[in-house]
Amino acid sequence: MSAASEVAERDDVTTNELMAVTVSRLLSDDDLVFVGVGTAGRAFSLAVGIPLVACRLAQLRQAPGLDVYWGNLLNPDLSSVPETLTQGAITRWRGAYAPADIGNKVDMLVRGEFDVSFESAAQIDRYGNLNITRIGRGDVPDVRLVGCLAQPEHLAFVKRPVVVMDLSRRAFVEQVDHVTSRGHGVGPGSRAALGYRTAGPSAVVTDRCVFDFAEDGRLRLRSLHAGQSLEDVLARMSFEPVVDGAVAQTPAPDDSELHDVRRLIDPRRTLLRA
Amino acid sequence: MVEGWTGDWTMKSKLVSVSEAASLVPPSSTLVVGGALLRRQPIALVRELVRREVRDLDLVTWASSLATDLLVGAGCARSWEGIYVGLWWYGLAPSFRRAVESGALRVTDHSESYMTARFRAAAMGLPFLPVQPIPGTRMTARDDVRRVICPYTGTELHTVAAVEADCTILHGYVGDEFGNVAWPAHRDSDDVDLIMAAGARTLVVSVERIVPHDTITQHPNLTYIPHVKVDAICEAPFGAWPGSCDTEYDEDGEELERWAAAGRDPDAFHRYVEEAVLAAPDHDAFLERLGAARTKALEVAR
Repeated sequence: MSAASEVAERDDVTTNELMAVTVSRLLSDDDLVFVGVGTAGRAFSLAVGIPLVACRLAQLRQAPGLDVYWGNLLNPDLSSVPETLTQGAITRWRGAYAPADIGNKVDMLVRGEFDVSFESAAQIDRYGNLNITRIGRGDVPDVRLVGCLAQPEHLAFVKRPVVVMDLSRRAFVEQVDHVTSRGHGVGPGSRAALGYRTAGPSAVVTDRCVFDFAEDGRLRLRSLHAGQSLEDVLARMSFEPVVDGAVAQTPAPDDSELHDVRRLIDPRRTLLRA
Repeated sequence: MVEGWTGDWTMKSKLVSVSEAASLVPPSSTLVVGGALLRRQPIALVRELVRREVRDLDLVTWASSLATDLLVGAGCARSWEGIYVGLWWYGLAPSFRRAVESGALRVTDHSESYMTARFRAAAMGLPFLPVQPIPGTRMTARDDVRRVICPYTGTELHTVAAVEADCTILHGYVGDEFGNVAWPAHRDSDDVDLIMAAGARTLVVSVERIVPHDTITQHPNLTYIPHVKVDAICEAPFGAWPGSCDTEYDEDGEELERWAAAGRDPDAFHRYVEEAVLAAPDHDAFLERLGAARTKALEVAR
């Protein structure tokens, strides 16, 4: 491929590609990473597509020893992702290990054996607490969502949980209606006071910007994606994050990262479609 | 294995019809329902519970979908406990959602490690198990989650009570007439049916196919539910439809979209239940109405 066409490629980097590359740079060699099975459409890209592309990209670069636990399958063959994840395709997807019941995976989680997990939620608040259970604070919910799954365990026992969500006022709220999973609680020291031994959510990668968490546990704006302004980002949040001085631009994918994502990892756009 | 050897079995047959199997589930009882997401939900048995108008069930599940949504939508359930109810790729579970939002259905949300411990406690014959605490969440603020000091280390742990269910219904791959239920050598194992079976009081299993006992004896390590645990076994081909049975058939996307659409309105779902469940008197009639062409198209390569 000519240098000219590589540059042309870089000019039309999609949001999903930028998010996947950004996430991949958060991953380290020998990380054991948990990826959920997700649902359809956009929710699939956020929970499954972007994380799997990020893991594979990291494996091809700085993290050859990175292990992925997808659903109940350890190290599914990421060089050959099924075109559509029907039940039959999922069942036949080759991998290293699938225990007799999923309790074994839950045990690994509680024992603190996972380094990274990926989260998305209906609501996230100023302190990175997450809600996937219900909207509304009354005796009965305004909207009943799915439940808890293992998200409480992820934020409790995984070393560096990474949240992958689209930025919106509805999702980024001052305080979650229901604490499904405990992030940085209500501020400084609140995890340690409850006996948590892990550091809590480490980063939030969105379609417009990237956050981490300040010392006091508050969400902090780290970088804006190309073309996004601080005003745009703040207008899409129901609370103001910590902003330390001038905010950097999210580093763009380099040519070889884009090449790998497009040619090697997701050539049929199975993972980054929606 | 000696060629042609048939053995001399003293086990008793527990093979019954789907309808007889479902009759073991009494009204106003606590019912564990197996499967995970859209996979191996015991829908043939659930349809029979709907036909029999078994009411006031307290449901306990892992990640549930169609079974819970149908039992709730048909007015058979009064409470639910578990880790998830939804239709996975097909959205939220509409009847379940409406019942929770109206206050008609009591729900208790558990996370995976707390729920696993509840099923394991039952399987171990213990009244409770300790778990590593996940403090500061809505789940652990409830009074069914208790605190205990570890007598060895002095650290605080949480405890959860065993699932003490009256009855457990599961859908499996193959089984013999005695109730030995086997899984294939490779499957999708994202469920806890094995633990649910081990902790069951009354255990009712439907399977895709009843196979000769000789088939089971060739690979006893594939038997995940031994006959000694089973009270009734029945043959229910496509017994998880319109969900999937991994290694047998995929979920029926067209039907799931129909289900999800009908579920948005209680009257529409009522009509759907009349047409899709009650119009056939039993599972055989139901399969006949569905048609072999439709089910054949969902089968996956073995």
